[in-house]
Amino acid sequence: MAADARGGPVVSELHWLSAAAAARAIAAKEVSPVELTSALLDRIGRLDPKLNVFIRLDAEAAMAAAKAAEAEIAAGRPRGPLHGVPVGIKDIIDVAGLPTTCHSKILIDNVAAADAVCVAKLRGAGAIVLGKLSTHEFAIGGPSFDLPWPPARNPWNPDHHPGGSSSGSGSGVAAGLFPMALGSDTGGSVRNPASACGIVGLKPTYGLVSRRGVFPLSFTLDHVGPLTRTVADNALMLDAIAGHDPLDPGSAAAPSAHHAAALERGVRGLRIGFVRHFHKTDLPADPEVTAALENVALTLQGLGAEIRDVFLPTLGEFGAVNRLILQSEAWAIHGPWLRERPGDYGQLARRRLLPGAFLGAGDYVQAQRRRLEMIAAVEDRLREVDVLLCASAMDPPSRIEDAAETERTYPRQARTPFNVTGHPALAMMAGMSTGGLPLSVQFVGRYFAEATVFQAARAWEREAATDAKHPPI
Amino acid sequence: MDKAEIEMLARRAGLDKALAEFPDDVAAAAEQARAAIGGMKAPSDPRAEPWPPMHAGARL
Repeated sequence: MAADARGGPVVSELHWLSAAAAARAIAAKEVSPVELTSALLDRIGRLDPKLNVFIRLDAEAAMAAAKAAEAEIAAGRPRGPLHGVPVGIKDIIDVAGLPTTCHSKILIDNVAAADAVCVAKLRGAGAIVLGKLSTHEFAIGGPSFDLPWPPARNPWNPDHHPGGSSSGSGSGVAAGLFPMALGSDTGGSVRNPASACGIVGLKPTYGLVSRRGVFPLSFTLDHVGPLTRTVADNALMLDAIAGHDPLDPGSAAAPSAHHAAALERGVRGLRIGFVRHFHKTDLPADPEVTAALENVALTLQGLGAEIRDVFLPTLGEFGAVNRLILQSEAWAIHGPWLRERPGDYGQLARRRLLPGAFLGAGDYVQAQRRRLEMIAAVEDRLREVDVLLCASAMDPPSRIEDAAETERTYPRQARTPFNVTGHPALAMMAGMSTGGLPLSVQFVGRYFAEATVFQAARAWEREAATDAKHPPI
Repeated sequence: MDKAEIEMLARRAGLDKALAEFPDDVAAAAEQARAAIGGMKAPSDPRAEPWPPMHAGARL
């Protein structure tokens, strides 16, 4: 990137700055937060009518925060490692004073009284909130065209979906509208858009990031996670948002960690378990996806990793447990509204939230019993290897207006196992399809070993230069 | 599940309105629930414990 007269990044390239690079440039006074935020708002103004990333852009507040951040830097008072860096927030996560609509008529006027804990932590680290982002309705019903706002689109090809449910988060980061975003992941909803948009999305260990201030879909499956263009940025964001919250019943009392500690260590000697059956036999993947996954494994082996095949319960088994738990817990949340005002939901959310009404307590308990067995199975494998490698999506993202193809391909994924078990899982670009759409890979680690997941992901990123690939938009 | 059974279960769940206005969605949901139950293998050991385990000394 060519430097300007101050030696900083060229103004026209500001939108592709990573969060870490932006933070460094701001700290070195090479770029001002006002300059960066203005550049992004300008880009949002030009591209968002095509991408529908934002439900509510709060430009005025963002510029006010940018000016305050500029003054703080000038006075030598940076707030934290993300000082002056803009961020987008999925619209199921509370931002004080803004509606948390969950992209639904049901909550269209629901104004949040306070920031969610994860948002407060990002502000504490100096980040600037740009606004609220498109999501599938209540993080489950999408992509949908019968909601108060249109669905987000994929910046690699806006005729295609960007994954979901953190659809605006994935699309916006990939399109250079902001360098980082928050999403949530109950059955893959951070990793799905990361996969479809060719960026990095982490579902952390269950309980590592507080869920307080995040509208729930399924209490024991919900995770909050970062979406970024680089692995280093993902670790930086996780450092900011992770930590015990005594007021979140699921919050883990994990030791604090610097998640980028092993980032540049490489994979020499790392034992990687390749869960090939996920994409070979359980849900046979598109041949381009298979080729991309084999290439990731071969590349890491060439870098000194030990690759071995490992076996877990099948995707069908994991999926059934995930669905039973999700449907039961979601019904507990949505039952009253579904009884009183079913017509205020979009059709997809309505269809996906009603099944819990037909499940019994015994079904839920059986699923939680099977869940414990599945946790043990993944734990056993992670005693033999350091990281798992597997598919994320079995297909490139489909055309958004082809409802039948989207319905067919959406469930073809290997993400839900790690919502069931709570292990940290990261999805990122594995390559590009011949149709010009991102293909993806997933890395999974031991509980609270996000640093090792990042280590493996970074080695692949560095070798394949996935962080330098941007959509032609 | 046949239509009568779906209707009985839906009414028991208080879904009279949804049944009247969106019968296809209710039927689709019932089928999804049936498929989810059918797709899961319950543990064979009758002593298998569920997750999460109960802990004494609540943290809140």
